[in-house]
Amino acid sequence: MITLQHVTKIYKNTVTALEDVSVEIQKGEFVFIVGPSGSGKSTAIRLLLKEEEPTAGEIFVAGKDLSKISSWKTPLLRRNIGTVFQDFKLLTDKTVFENIAFALEVIGKPKHVIDQRVPEIVELVGLSDKLNNYPNELSGGEQQRISLARAVVNRPLILLADEPTGNLDPATSVDIMRLLDKVNRIGTTIVMATHDHAIVDAMRRRVIELEAGKVVRDQERGVYGVAP
Amino acid sequence: MPPRLEPLFRETVVGLKRNGSIAVAAISTAFISVFLVGGALLINRQANLLIDALTGNVEVSVFLSDPVNTDNVTHLTSLLTTLPSVADVHYEDKAEACARFQKQFAQEPALVENTPCSALPASLRVKMRDPNQFRQVAAALGCTQDASGNLSCGQPGVERVRDNRTTLNAMFSVIRFFRIVVGVLAVIALIASALLIANTIRVGLFARRREIGIMRLVGATNWRIRVPFLAEGVIQGLLGAGIAILFLFIVKVTLVDPERTIVKFVPFIRNGDIVAIVPWLIVLSVLVSLGASLFAMRRFLEV
Repeated sequence: MITLQHVTKIYKNTVTALEDVSVEIQKGEFVFIVGPSGSGKSTAIRLLLKEEEPTAGEIFVAGKDLSKISSWKTPLLRRNIGTVFQDFKLLTDKTVFENIAFALEVIGKPKHVIDQRVPEIVELVGLSDKLNNYPNELSGGEQQRISLARAVVNRPLILLADEPTGNLDPATSVDIMRLLDKVNRIGTTIVMATHDHAIVDAMRRRVIELEAGKVVRDQERGVYGVAP
Repeated sequence: MPPRLEPLFRETVVGLKRNGSIAVAAISTAFISVFLVGGALLINRQANLLIDALTGNVEVSVFLSDPVNTDNVTHLTSLLTTLPSVADVHYEDKAEACARFQKQFAQEPALVENTPCSALPASLRVKMRDPNQFRQVAAALGCTQDASGNLSCGQPGVERVRDNRTTLNAMFSVIRFFRIVVGVLAVIALIASALLIANTIRVGLFARRREIGIMRLVGATNWRIRVPFLAEGVIQGLLGAGIAILFLFIVKVTLVDPERTIVKFVPFIRNGDIVAIVPWLIVLSVLVSLGASLFAMRRFLEV
């Protein structure tokens, strides 16, 4: 589903964010990318979204060579990739329903599809009673669930999550991880960049550890701390 | 998948409302600039009407004395045609002069009615190759200038010779001056309106940067992101142009039309002249506002 071959990313010819990274992620996998700040986690996510171009190496997402996707077809790539961020990225002047509907509306989905899918997905994240609330009226965990609902409402093949629990307390984080697990079980490939030891240790999924832009560990059913 | 127009329209309207006061400024300058451009075009049209009316596109008129002698006409025509500075000589008989007069003052039926055709002199209408060589024509016709500047001409059958350029020169320079002033003002105003429209778009982009970021993340096309902003800019331009066109009509009705009854011998612009420039004004305002919006997006919207 995702392949990186000898990918290097150097910003402004001086800062090396990723160095010769080669990773293969299969369809349906759940992968954690761990490592300290500045180790290249966010750069990897930006590369997968084609927000940045690699300095060297090749990236394949859903069978497509990203370097061969023209800029005007990049939006179509992004429709296959859902994204969740630490800061939720919800629009404060729109209700829960409108926030999720917006994501479908701007890719041209007809109204009847929106009216059907939005309540469905909000039910999946367990917030059906908050459809007409504004983001400010929700807790952080609830906002992140809405953000997750928006990320998957268009049924993407891949979900990229960049520190999705970064702003949440441990109990709420567990709720979010349950949801991500649920989304993974219906076949969505999930790549999650995180700092959260407890979550990584508890989930026992594949862990890719980055350090100074290099892969220093790639382990099936790993934990956060360095393996023996 | 057919694009849905309704959300695009809604975003455009929201954008216009959100930037209310800035949008009003942009619309006002668009109005002023289109008004000035229209004004310049109409002044130009009015000048052409005047020139046409007063000269009939002829630079020198040789009015013939009554009754017209055909031998004289042939003689004078061949005399003038041989002059190197003359391009063409056309004999306009009384009937022709009358027809031209009636056409020119079609909007002044009273004037036409009270002017019998016999009162209009026949003339030789001379087109000059070099319009500055009026003296050559005057000399060929045996004209001499007296102390007060009047010409008396020796050639038989010639009543009066008029260099239309000198009579109109003073007026032309006034018109030319107006045309340039209004034209320069129009260009300045156009630039100002383009900058103001670009600015409203920029403010709009900034106000909606979160929305734009999310649109990009969920895979909205560039087209889908840009159209509401483009539409916003073009609507501002078009509103300005609409008001400007309305004002051109108002000015014509309140300032030009009363002149019609006072200055009887001069044709004035009519509604049709304004209607004729309306498409150009609309095209111009669309191009300027579209260009300004595209410029603002190139500058302030990374893809």
